[in-house]
Amino acid sequence: MLEIRDLHVKFHNRDREAVAGISLTIGDGEIVGLVGESGSGKSVTAMSIAGLLPRKQCDLSGDILLDGEDLLHAPRSALRQIHGRKIGVVFQEPMSAMDPLMKVGEQVGEVLRIHTRMSKEERRARVLEVLQAVELSDPEAVYDKYPHELSGGMLQRAMIAAAIVIHPTLLLLDEPTTALDVTIQAQILELLKKLNAEWGISMLFISHNLNVVRKLCRRVAVMQRGELVEAGSTDQVFFRPQHPYTKRLIEAIPTRHGKETL
Amino acid sequence: MKYALKRILMLVLTMVIVSFLTFLAFELISGDPAEAKLGTEATPERLAALRHEMGLDRPFPVRYVSWLAGFVSGDLGTSYNYDMPVWELIAPKLEVTLCLCLLSFVLITAVSIPLAIWSYRWTGTAFDAVRTAFNQLCMAVPPFFTGILMSYFFGIVMRLFIPGDFPDLRTDFGEAVTHLFFAAICLGIPRAAMTVRMMRSTVIGEMQKAYVRTAISRGNDRRGVLTRHVLKNSLTSAVTFLGQTMAELIGGSVVVEQVFGIPGLGRLLVYSISNRDYPVVETLVVILAFWVVLAGTLADLINQRIDPRLRLGGAV
Amino acid sequence: MRKRKINGYLLVGLIITGALLLMTLIGAFHTPWDPNAMSATEKFQAPSLAHLFGTDRFGRDIFSRVLKGSGTTLAIALATVAIGAVVGTLVGAVTGFFGGVVDDALMRLNDALTAFPSILLALLVISIVGPENKYNVVLALGIVFIPSFARVTRTAFAGLRDANYITSARLMGASNGRILLIHMLPNTARVLLPAVTIGFNNAVLAEASMSFLGIGVTPPDASLGYLLKEAQSMLALAPWYALCTGTVIALLVFGVGLIGEGLQKMDREVA
Repeated sequence: MLEIRDLHVKFHNRDREAVAGISLTIGDGEIVGLVGESGSGKSVTAMSIAGLLPRKQCDLSGDILLDGEDLLHAPRSALRQIHGRKIGVVFQEPMSAMDPLMKVGEQVGEVLRIHTRMSKEERRARVLEVLQAVELSDPEAVYDKYPHELSGGMLQRAMIAAAIVIHPTLLLLDEPTTALDVTIQAQILELLKKLNAEWGISMLFISHNLNVVRKLCRRVAVMQRGELVEAGSTDQVFFRPQHPYTKRLIEAIPTRHGKETL
Repeated sequence: MKYALKRILMLVLTMVIVSFLTFLAFELISGDPAEAKLGTEATPERLAALRHEMGLDRPFPVRYVSWLAGFVSGDLGTSYNYDMPVWELIAPKLEVTLCLCLLSFVLITAVSIPLAIWSYRWTGTAFDAVRTAFNQLCMAVPPFFTGILMSYFFGIVMRLFIPGDFPDLRTDFGEAVTHLFFAAICLGIPRAAMTVRMMRSTVIGEMQKAYVRTAISRGNDRRGVLTRHVLKNSLTSAVTFLGQTMAELIGGSVVVEQVFGIPGLGRLLVYSISNRDYPVVETLVVILAFWVVLAGTLADLINQRIDPRLRLGGAV
Repeated sequence: MRKRKINGYLLVGLIITGALLLMTLIGAFHTPWDPNAMSATEKFQAPSLAHLFGTDRFGRDIFSRVLKGSGTTLAIALATVAIGAVVGTLVGAVTGFFGGVVDDALMRLNDALTAFPSILLALLVISIVGPENKYNVVLALGIVFIPSFARVTRTAFAGLRDANYITSARLMGASNGRILLIHMLPNTARVLLPAVTIGFNNAVLAEASMSFLGIGVTPPDASLGYLLKEAQSMLALAPWYALCTGTVIALLVFGVGLIGEGLQKMDREVA
């Protein structure tokens, strides 16, 4: 469904390529994890899929195909048709990723406003439905709230709702749980699993946290310094890591014998 | 609503403090009005009689309260120079200055906001430097200089209006507004340039924020990002700045009225200061201060409508 | 850290301002004509090689008058900025460094004063301090400009108060005075410099406005604002008088404005 072939990204003001030739595929209904430390190029990869890189300030080469459609070299106008409709994005900090002056419900419905001819009432009905689906209690109340009136966890649910309101084929999740409490983190992961199973949305889940990735993804890819150093099924990568970098990453996970985390 | 009430209460409180300070200051500098009135005819008896008649023998707080009461009810005392009630002197001039400032304010707002958005699009191009320089130039040309140029070209050469001869605002409204229009442009140019500069950097700052990326990821085009998100988020700074502009305009109008011969508050103030006509100056100071504080309060109230985060009440 | 590069704004601003300063400086010692010498035969002459800016109603050479006038204007503006910057920095340093109730009260007062148009304040101060002449103009404007400088430096000092190197200096037993003077003051130059350019421009414009209104510099002194007032009275017969005088004011403010713009740009690029 999504196919990345030999993607290179180089920013004009940097010497090293941010992404140095990676290839990756995501099948229909699959959740793929992309792991690496900060600066490894995982976010840049996601941004190039989402078409959010400043094209004037970087060189791009390779292919990104979504259902056969070229994303990397498509004109802006064509990309706008894909944004929101076929690809939804959820960012790390829900508080800053939301427009502080727009009601949460309107932000969730913005994709509908841009891509459909729905009336205001139809949009509202649809938004309430989706807010329900992301397990926000009392969607009616949430609809009319401003971002600063909601907690981080609630906001991230709303962000997910905004990204899936039009039922995209691919959901990009850029460290969606990093800024949240551990318990909220677990709830969000459960929610994503549910959406994947019930709605059949494919996901690319980006995180520096291996534990989180292990809970959610069946397949995982590991990035270091712009390169894909290892990819395979989650079990394979976790229990039989081939690359020394992956080994170090896994050794760094706190175990039950040490200080307890998840 | 609670916030608005609090803000208005603060406005009243500020005005009371300002009026008290003004009264105190003029009490200290203006000397004895009774003596000034009698001049060489002063004898101790007549002085005492007049002082009693004018109420000057009462204690200071009593005089302040009665002055304030007079102020509120429109009794502002008598001008030394014109020997007429201050309010009758000020009222028609207040009208003219109000017209001038509002006209200029509308022009500034109507011109500078679109210009700021338009100039934002040129960020980083070679044209940007030219635009910045032009902006600086507009801020550098003093309003009285543009005023003189305008009265030369549009007044003396093209005869669109007669400099120094201001038509009556009530009987000759059209003519008067033409006259005011040129003055309003001169008054507005530097301030409009500042507004463009400030607005542009606000928009640039907002464009860096994370919510813009979210908006793009939803399929917004440049126009959608700007109109639906960035402009609204830039609006509070613009409103604050325009509130300050409203206050600054009254200062600028003092000079521009002089250039165009417009009989407004500014000219009256200059004349009264030169002639030490303290009752008039005192009243004008309080009116101008009220203008400034009111502009700030209005800006705050509007911002509080725009930005729900300000409605929490904590930040005043 | 990248190298500080002189940018176009700064360069053009320095050239314009430098040229005007040089001319004014020369004008202080030598003018082509006596600025006050009248001539019955040379009234209302348009600009020519002999009289670069023409002559006025009394046959006086306008170029010479402008040279003298810009000298007065510059002197007033510099003196004003000096008063505002020195006293303002002092107030800002003390309140910003120590904080507390005095700081709060002073800053509230500051807010109120800066909200008020500076030209109006200056007019009021001069009506209080007495006769209109250049010394009282400097005094009035200087007082009016103190709050804006105080605000800028206060912010800078308050920001530095908790900086690591200040804390370590304090731990090493440096006195408050030493910390303020040796450790903090040099670091506020960065914010003070653009404030000085803005303050200078405001001073030039304010002085010109006041003298233009007749509540400022009075004869025998003549500043650019006073000349413009004179020029307005003979606008129909000698429009070049107003044009030349006003252009000099505008160029001066424009040049210094560009310097300010350039300094800010340099600061942004280094940061």
